[in-house]
Amino acid sequence: MIALAIAQQTLREALRRRVMWVILIIGVFLIALGPVFGFLSPKDSQTVLRSLGLAAILLSGLFITIVTCIYLIPVEIERRTIYTVLSKPVQRYEFVLGKFLGGFATVFVNIAAMGIVFLAMIYLQENRIPTEMFKGVLMTFFQMMLLAALTIFFSTFTTPVVNFFLSFGIFLVGNLSSVTESLTTKSNSVVRTAGVVIHYLLPNFGNFNIQNSLIRPTTEIANEGIFLRNNIIYAIIYSSVLLVLAILIFDRREV
Amino acid sequence: MAKITKLYPKSVSERAKKLLPLALVALCLVPPLQKMIDPQAREIQGVDRTADVAAAGNEFLLLPLLGFREAAAGLLWVRCDEFFHSGDYDAILPLVRLITWLDPHADNIFITGAWHLAYNFTDSSERSDRRYLAPSQALLDEGILNNKQIPDILFEKGWQNYDKIKDFLAAEEAFHAAMIGPNGDGTTNLKPDQTTDHPYFSPLKTFHILAHTYAKRARIPDALNQWNVSMKRNDEQTAANPKDGSNKSLRETETRNFEQFLQRYRDRYTPAGHSAINPSKLPNVLNPGVSKDQTPRPWDIAFQPNIEMKRPKVFRISGRFNSADGPRVDVRITDWDYKERVINPQENTFKVDENATILMDALSVRKAKFDRELDMSKDPRMYSFKSDFYKIVLSFNPRNTSPHIQDRFGYSGEGITDKRKEFVYTDNRDHLRGTKMIEGLGGEGQVWNGKDVPWTQYTQPLKMIRVVYKVSLDQINGNKPITDADIVANEQSPP
Repeated sequence: MIALAIAQQTLREALRRRVMWVILIIGVFLIALGPVFGFLSPKDSQTVLRSLGLAAILLSGLFITIVTCIYLIPVEIERRTIYTVLSKPVQRYEFVLGKFLGGFATVFVNIAAMGIVFLAMIYLQENRIPTEMFKGVLMTFFQMMLLAALTIFFSTFTTPVVNFFLSFGIFLVGNLSSVTESLTTKSNSVVRTAGVVIHYLLPNFGNFNIQNSLIRPTTEIANEGIFLRNNIIYAIIYSSVLLVLAILIFDRREV
Repeated sequence: MAKITKLYPKSVSERAKKLLPLALVALCLVPPLQKMIDPQAREIQGVDRTADVAAAGNEFLLLPLLGFREAAAGLLWVRCDEFFHSGDYDAILPLVRLITWLDPHADNIFITGAWHLAYNFTDSSERSDRRYLAPSQALLDEGILNNKQIPDILFEKGWQNYDKIKDFLAAEEAFHAAMIGPNGDGTTNLKPDQTTDHPYFSPLKTFHILAHTYAKRARIPDALNQWNVSMKRNDEQTAANPKDGSNKSLRETETRNFEQFLQRYRDRYTPAGHSAINPSKLPNVLNPGVSKDQTPRPWDIAFQPNIEMKRPKVFRISGRFNSADGPRVDVRITDWDYKERVINPQENTFKVDENATILMDALSVRKAKFDRELDMSKDPRMYSFKSDFYKIVLSFNPRNTSPHIQDRFGYSGEGITDKRKEFVYTDNRDHLRGTKMIEGLGGEGQVWNGKDVPWTQYTQPLKMIRVVYKVSLDQINGNKPITDADIVANEQSPP
């Protein structure tokens, strides 16, 4: 309950930040611009609308997640408001958990808002809402959940600037899953070991990039349901591990 | 200095003792889970070519990493179109590679990219650079691997083999694969909102062109059978959509082709049919190898080739070819040890061997003569002439010629002969064998009876005209003439 109260407060605070609204507006603007860029694929303008929409949700979600989550804990320490919180019967793990849930809720609200605009744009263009687009938004949401956990983890022991570069860097590397996977089969043992470590131990954000198969209706993913389920389990397990580590580090941190 | 010992509340240590093993166990679950995700993620991401694309520049990586894959692919495709219209074909190539990486399920880009590679990389005389055929096929193979559900790329592969490479076996395999679909039984894994129309089912043209492919393989009963299949399928589609008249002309062509095939069979292989329907005014030109009294009478081509070097690397190839107008003498000039490449689509390279030389062209026969200058001096990047010896092959393949010439020689060149027997080459390879249509002119077993379909005996070998020269770089540079003494036996240098 305490964690939820902190989460609620965090969400309120995050929604008051102007930078988040700016990113959200840019995201919505990009989605709304989709039909204008139909000329990029004259035979299939829907492809562009869908691609731009999903990409805009991903990009805006990425920046909202990072910008929101990197400050959640350091700001409390910097402003010394954490003393007020921790002097109450609040455990440190509840504080970390509350901050994560608050950040996560912020990301959820934003992705949901962009998702609604995106689906509305598709509806205006096609007079129907293709169900597969929900899957795209859902995967982006879990991708951002994992990123939020990663950012919270780093924020327990780094400054916001370092956290920004670390989280963004790992997000980019994690998106190169096709490369890291190919490294695991290389003949050079050093490269192979590095590939295994990166591919299997770093958070693999590329798993969630299913946009291409959603945009191209001719593409069939075998056992799609299992694939989506595995990705969601992956995001939950990995986020839990990161949160546990964040709690253990924050427990021992001097504030 | 005194050592500082940090003291934590007992609850912190206890929490660590409980949570750390849990976190480790959870972390151990991640690799197996990732292993389960990998195969399907690979399907979405297509054949891995990231390293190839990274070599093109880091700026190309950022957009896709931030999620704008298809939008970036669309922008690049527009750029490709501009390059195409300005004739800057070389610039298109890396872009196509990039686009297919960004959007591995954009079938039209694989198809158009492969077409560029196979047809549009040319020398100053508009002859295509045959070294790019292997990368073109590899690009199509990659597209097929990434898009098993739709038949279009398979159709393109079949068409390229039919039209450009003249590998009719590969063409047949590709068309057949397009027709049978990803499940191997003509069905497809349609989603509820997808119709059974193109592109989820193989279009009618695939059924149509497969019949032509059988004919090119001299498997005439198969071709007739395929025309029937094609007409039936066309009728079914028309019955399902009576208002759709788009297949009408295709259906009419199929009827005509079917009837023409039967007509040709009678004209070429049955004496009664020939004399009654198509009496030729040309002397000695009867249906191949058979006179009215059923005596085999092959037709002497009297092939007399001559190769002269006008200037270094400029060939004048001329000669006589005793037939009506229309046949084409194929010319192939390569390094002596040139081998066709086969690229694994996972190999990720479009690079061609810059030191390899290959030219292919065809010389038209008019009034029983052919004469043409082939200038290989203007394009040193394409024709580097880095070897010491070269192979010049002049050939005539009756399978690739026009029907009125086939009327003289038959589908498999049964009626071909030449005074210089060493010029007549019989290719006995199994995949080149066609239906035996006539007795006494090669081929084992039964002659096709003109009725039974299907007919599974393929025993008639391909008979063709083939002359191989082995020449040195010195001769190519015009320092020494090319003569009949440079001709080597076909058996020493088979195709």
